[in-house]
Amino acid sequence: MIHTKGTKLLIASFLVIPVLHLLVFSYIPIISNIALSFTNYNGVNPPQWVGLKNYQRLFTDPQYLQLFKNCLWYMVVAIPQLIFAFILAVFVNGKFRGINFFKGVLIVPYLLNGVIISTIFIIFFNNSGTLNSILKALGLGSLAQQWLHNLRLVNPAIASISIWRYYGLNFLMFFGGLQAISSELYEAAAIDGCTKWQEIRYISIPSILNILFINVLLSISGSIQVFEIPYIMLNGANGTATPVIQIQQSAFAENRVGFASALSIVVFIIVVLAVGLQRLLDKKESIIDG
Amino acid sequence: MVNESRSYKVLRYVFLIGAVIFVIVPILPLIFMAFKTGSEYSSTSVLVPPQNWFNFYNFKYAIRVGNLGKALINTGIILAVSLSVQLLFTTMVSYVLHRFEFTGKRVVFTLFLLTMFIPVVTTQTIVFQIIYKLGLVNKMLSVILLYSGVNIVGIFIMLNQLNAIPKELDESALIDGASYFRIYASIILPNMKPACITLLIINGIGYYNDFYIPNLYLRKEVQTFTVALHKFFGNTATPFEIVAAAILLGIVPIMIVFIFLQKHIFYGLAGAVKS
Repeated sequence: MIHTKGTKLLIASFLVIPVLHLLVFSYIPIISNIALSFTNYNGVNPPQWVGLKNYQRLFTDPQYLQLFKNCLWYMVVAIPQLIFAFILAVFVNGKFRGINFFKGVLIVPYLLNGVIISTIFIIFFNNSGTLNSILKALGLGSLAQQWLHNLRLVNPAIASISIWRYYGLNFLMFFGGLQAISSELYEAAAIDGCTKWQEIRYISIPSILNILFINVLLSISGSIQVFEIPYIMLNGANGTATPVIQIQQSAFAENRVGFASALSIVVFIIVVLAVGLQRLLDKKESIIDG
Repeated sequence: MVNESRSYKVLRYVFLIGAVIFVIVPILPLIFMAFKTGSEYSSTSVLVPPQNWFNFYNFKYAIRVGNLGKALINTGIILAVSLSVQLLFTTMVSYVLHRFEFTGKRVVFTLFLLTMFIPVVTTQTIVFQIIYKLGLVNKMLSVILLYSGVNIVGIFIMLNQLNAIPKELDESALIDGASYFRIYASIILPNMKPACITLLIINGIGYYNDFYIPNLYLRKEVQTFTVALHKFFGNTATPFEIVAAAILLGIVPIMIVFIFLQKHIFYGLAGAVKS
């Protein structure tokens, strides 16, 4: 296209505010965070250089190592979550009676906010709550627990809530992937006399392997950023604190901005690794050259 | 499609009905609880339905005490302003990136692209200080400002749509003497409607449900719906059956939107994923 002065003005005026926003609220903060993570900044006094002390503390103090261990539970529950979502997507991908009802109900949890979900699962895990009541009704009363106060069970218990909360998102992604498979492939399979199982095994699964991998990485980057459920349900008590809860605690309650910055940077690096891998698989930059 | 055997069809229904039970079982006691009286709540099992389904006392109490109506209006204002601004800027940035060649284009695109590596939760220690210096803490404008930024997912959705709008349309308008701004406003923007709806749905749901940002910036009188619900819920003096009623009220708006927009939501979300 022709480049006149007017064109340049239009380009500049359309970009200036969004780019400025980006710099002020994303890039300047992350760069400041990197710098402050090597200081003892408390939000008031001028920061003093402390080298790697914040990071050393983070990786040697069991109290802080626990934060990352808690995240592992959220990664572990992602496995059944993804399997469940995949099976759902395969079953829903087709024509059958009631499909809209099932699709509607299945994505309800994904539409609920963290406060609502926390309340639902406080009722679920309470001493006289849903889970214990069901266990008793089934004659399994001996398994009834103080789920949220048993220090060994509380983390897996609240981590498993994310299966309920997020499988809908994975389901939508798998479903989108299955819908994108060319119908010719299915027709060819039908002509060759494939069974449904063979179709799933040799067409569906290979076609969405890429999406599966993206989901795994999304789960990893999501697990390291867990905040709402342990914060709202337990305020991070009973050993359920996560890195993000601790960032908030250190930065805003304890005024240890330098330390909070170091913790932010560790979370940032883990996300960079997970999302970076995902991008390698999913090249999209070419779109602006098209 | 390969013919589905009878056993496959049966298996499908068994599995899907199982999944529906999995979704509903945790929610059901909450619904029961919202209609129970205080003494009924403490004397009956959570699995037992309420004696009187027309006991609306808890709902009335929740509305009166919980400040929820006001908070819902605040959330509405925040969503309306920030989504409009965001949509406008996202279409503008995408239009420029898609239709023009200029120095620095790669840099600008890369800047937007790399934000996906910078989770919001890792920058708030510093962003809070910026918002504080701007004097916006506890003002709605803080959250509006943070929500209004252009994000890369939005750009991808728009770029996909722009691929489908023929460049010949722009060129013929240009020959007719239209300015680029005119082309953006009267050709590009109207043709971007489907992508705009997708973006509105994705970010609308996200912002309506967001707790992290409003909980940091709006802790005093001005609250969003999620923050007000949380305050209500965190107050141990509030009887739990009232909390249940408030939570149920919180589900209503999103369910109404959902019922009306179900098709858009489903294909919008699945389509965004696909793209």
